[in-house]
Amino acid sequence: MSDMNRHILSAFDRDLEGIQAMIMKMGGLVETQIRDGAKSLETRDEELAEQVRQGDKAVDALEDSLNEEAARVIALRAPAASDLRVVLSVMRMSANLERIGDLAKNMAKRTSVLSQLQPVNGSASSLRRMARDVELMLKDSLDAYIQRDAELARDVIARDSEIDRMYNTLFREILTFMLEDPRNITACMHLHFIAKNIERMGDHVTSIAEQVIFVVTGAADDLPREKVDRTSFDPKYSVQDSEE
Amino acid sequence: MYDTPFRAERDVSAKDTKIAAREVQVYYGDTHAIKDVSVDILDKTVTAFIGPSGCGKSTFLRCINRMNDTIDIARIEGLIEIDGEDIYDRRVDPVQLRAKVGMVFQKPNPFPKSIYDNVAYGPKIHGLAKNKAELDEIVEKALRRGAIWDEVKDRLDAPGTGLSGGQQQRLCIARAVATEPEVLLMDEPCSALDPIATGQVEELIDELRQDYSVVIVTHSMQQAARVSQKTAFFHLGNLVEYGDTDKIFTNPQDSRTESYITGRIG
Repeated sequence: MSDMNRHILSAFDRDLEGIQAMIMKMGGLVETQIRDGAKSLETRDEELAEQVRQGDKAVDALEDSLNEEAARVIALRAPAASDLRVVLSVMRMSANLERIGDLAKNMAKRTSVLSQLQPVNGSASSLRRMARDVELMLKDSLDAYIQRDAELARDVIARDSEIDRMYNTLFREILTFMLEDPRNITACMHLHFIAKNIERMGDHVTSIAEQVIFVVTGAADDLPREKVDRTSFDPKYSVQDSEE
Repeated sequence: MYDTPFRAERDVSAKDTKIAAREVQVYYGDTHAIKDVSVDILDKTVTAFIGPSGCGKSTFLRCINRMNDTIDIARIEGLIEIDGEDIYDRRVDPVQLRAKVGMVFQKPNPFPKSIYDNVAYGPKIHGLAKNKAELDEIVEKALRRGAIWDEVKDRLDAPGTGLSGGQQQRLCIARAVATEPEVLLMDEPCSALDPIATGQVEELIDELRQDYSVVIVTHSMQQAARVSQKTAFFHLGNLVEYGDTDKIFTNPQDSRTESYITGRIG
């Protein structure tokens, strides 16, 4: 995993490889959580949703051991330069992954409620596509980390705009469903929170991709990012506008 | 008049150059030990020289107070100036130079004299005290700066060589600062000290930079990171990289520096 030659003290290499292997394991778990959460939503599979809710414990436990291990490496090895960046990035990435895990768990919780309600046509499959894209972004950002590929990381960051666009579209769609039939409101509120959750996952994946750039270049990438989610300040996403 | 803008503790940009070296070459016989080193060392700043054994860092340090003069086969080319004066100019008296440029060595080397005389020797030969009372004051102040006063104040007449290794080193630092030098060179000053004495010496180094330009050669990267504001990395006689310590230890520009400070085979 190391992008340079080996340490004279080989135990140091093993420590650094160890925490990076842990972050990869955690990343893999979180990918599965996103995938299963979205699948359970679309197929109205309460059992799978429950499995996702339970699965979050493993993600949290990994975060704890990762932070412990990273603290141990700092205390015992006094890492500098690129080694320090590896430890710092792993700690930040584990926080991001933990948040994504929580959002996936929340998606599964809402799925359990939604399964009891009348289905709202089309939204679940749109949400699953959106979740699928975020999952792929996460996979690519983890691959970029292992391969120290800043270009791939920048590509992931660019793709977050697409997630924001999907969220905008869903926002309007869900609003329309609610206007059409007030009996949809409960389900639509849950669907909207799920859409927002997935959009937030995209932001956390972006943050992971930024860590890749930090590890590779030693500096934060300060390219301005396009603000695509306009639902909070653009009147065209308001009810009045949709009524026209 | 403007207020002084906020300045980080490690900010050294406002400091003046104390020691300027230009294209310095050192040869020991046929061995080319220092290759074309040019560097500006700042006043009121701690500068650390790091690098593997034999990289030339001690050799370069010893050029700054002409210690290499004592080695017959050593030959030095290029220019070294302190406060704009060429220290290798023929009119410069090495003894006067070394009063201005103090040195602390790796191994403690107290004179075979009393603790008091070890410290009083320099001030006496340079005529820094008019009478015994003034000399007593200088000795106490120097021993306090060397963080050893409390341990020796009741036995100033005891031989310096009877102290422990760590105490002897602090005595040597006290001796070096007794003549109020402007530059203090330290060659591995803590390698024989325990962690507590090391901490005391490092605290002392940090205090000394209020007044002096301190240059320290160290094998301990952590020590360089702790005490210095500027770091110079030497490798095979070359000055590979020189810059702010924060930068060198977080994001060095040269791959040789990176390999060395992260403990890799370069």
